[in-house]
Amino acid sequence: MNVLEIANLSLRIGVQDILHDISLDVAEKGIYAILGANGVGKTSLMRCISGIYHPTGGEIRYEGKNIVGLKSHQIVDLGILQAPEGRQIFSNMSVLENLTIGGGPLKTAELDRVLGLFPKLKERLKQGAGSLSGGEQQMLCIGRALMRRPKVLLLDEPSLGLAPMLVRFIFDLVEEIRAQGYSILIVEQNAKAALRIADRAAVIEGGKIVMEGSAKELASDSRVADAYLGGHVAAH
Amino acid sequence: MIDPYYLQQLTIGISLGMVYALMAIGFTLIFGVLNVVNFAHGEVYTIGAFAGIMAIAAFGPPFLVIVFIVLAVGALAGFSLERVAFRPFRRFSDEASLKSRAMREATLMSSLAMSIIAREAMELLFGSEFQTIDIGYLINKPISLGPVTIVNGDIIIFVVSVLMLGGLQWLLKYSAIGLSIRAVSNNPLGAKYVGINTDRTIVLTFVIGSMMGALAGILVGLYYGAVFPSMGFIPGVKAFVAMVMGGLSSIPGAVIAALVLGVAESLSTTFVSSVWADMVAYLFLIVTLVFFPQGLFGARRERV
Repeated sequence: MNVLEIANLSLRIGVQDILHDISLDVAEKGIYAILGANGVGKTSLMRCISGIYHPTGGEIRYEGKNIVGLKSHQIVDLGILQAPEGRQIFSNMSVLENLTIGGGPLKTAELDRVLGLFPKLKERLKQGAGSLSGGEQQMLCIGRALMRRPKVLLLDEPSLGLAPMLVRFIFDLVEEIRAQGYSILIVEQNAKAALRIADRAAVIEGGKIVMEGSAKELASDSRVADAYLGGHVAAH
Repeated sequence: MIDPYYLQQLTIGISLGMVYALMAIGFTLIFGVLNVVNFAHGEVYTIGAFAGIMAIAAFGPPFLVIVFIVLAVGALAGFSLERVAFRPFRRFSDEASLKSRAMREATLMSSLAMSIIAREAMELLFGSEFQTIDIGYLINKPISLGPVTIVNGDIIIFVVSVLMLGGLQWLLKYSAIGLSIRAVSNNPLGAKYVGINTDRTIVLTFVIGSMMGALAGILVGLYYGAVFPSMGFIPGVKAFVAMVMGGLSSIPGAVIAALVLGVAESLSTTFVSSVWADMVAYLFLIVTLVFFPQGLFGARRERV
């Protein structure tokens, strides 16, 4: 059963073809990884799903219903939450405000659950979010998305710029929240770590999917190994 | 002992400053969410004053009812203004376009156009001279406090402004809409990712800012007994100066700057002729821009 299906999606901004004929399915309670170098369209794809960009062709189906054309807040209300690239936290607001914003009245149960996953945030609830370290900001960003109990969680480069220990923490966390029943679509440059936790994966080059399959297949594919795994072996 | 004359000028200055503060907040809120200056804000002030005196002429309601009518008209003016002059230029929703220069320049022209249209329309409808107001409604009845004579308008303006400013602070800190306004000001793209309806938040920001501007208009109109179609221009400029002095997106900064401006202006009439009092604001603006380009309270401002 697929919770999110992307079919023949294309995106054109001005005269530029950003995405071309992208098709992929995120299984319920699955982890789907999207790999690729900088600037190949991974973030644009994530933005299309969250309604920030409006695709010029194709469909994004959530539980069988096409969500293309919906506004970003409607997509959030459906249960598709994203921890976006660059984290996009509210630096002038407190950690607590960052977590509770947009979600209606404060739900203490949700807050306790999220703070259980990120005990570091618990000590800093009253602090301005801008004063957090990069790793803590990433935790806040993921925690903020989890506060809404999403059905699909989109993670855009969650390990970017983090120390190796934190990268490990984030990936362990992703596995843990999948075990809690979330479906996850993750964009990563750290291909090795992503393929380790994912069920399926795709490689994007120049706005197109050039390879798609189970994470195992891709991890053992020599082309993937040459292009995306080589540089990261040392990191782990 | 301070000469009572100065105390009197100080009181007038605070009233004046409170009115500038109410207006400056409208500028500041809107600048916060969109990074644009709303050049039609002065006309919202004028519309507020006209709505008030029309209500008085039509059915002579009690003062509080006038306040609510003016707030409602201000809200409507803000809503319409956003729809006509701002939303059509907001076509894309990624971070590069949300606070883009192109949008800033386009809305600068469109809000200026709306300002001119509104002012000229009011001149055609009402003529450019002072409107007659029922004397009983003017808030300039003298009250003696020892050696100092103030008018009841000083008290009314102070109380109403403090209530509005306090209410706004509460709204921004504790209400869902206030949190949304702060979130959109802080990071419009992030606001979209947490499911905030940014379009609705922006409209509500215009509504709240315009309610304050319209209220300032009727208060000044009844304080001086002077309501006319171009009355919003000078206070608009003063409020703009207060916003710049306050650091563009700092509400406490704008309020303090507005008070400083009001008091400085009122005290300056002691030393120079009152026609020159307006120059104080421009002097402040130049000094701020030269020596404190971030504004007096905007040092920590980040670019989004």
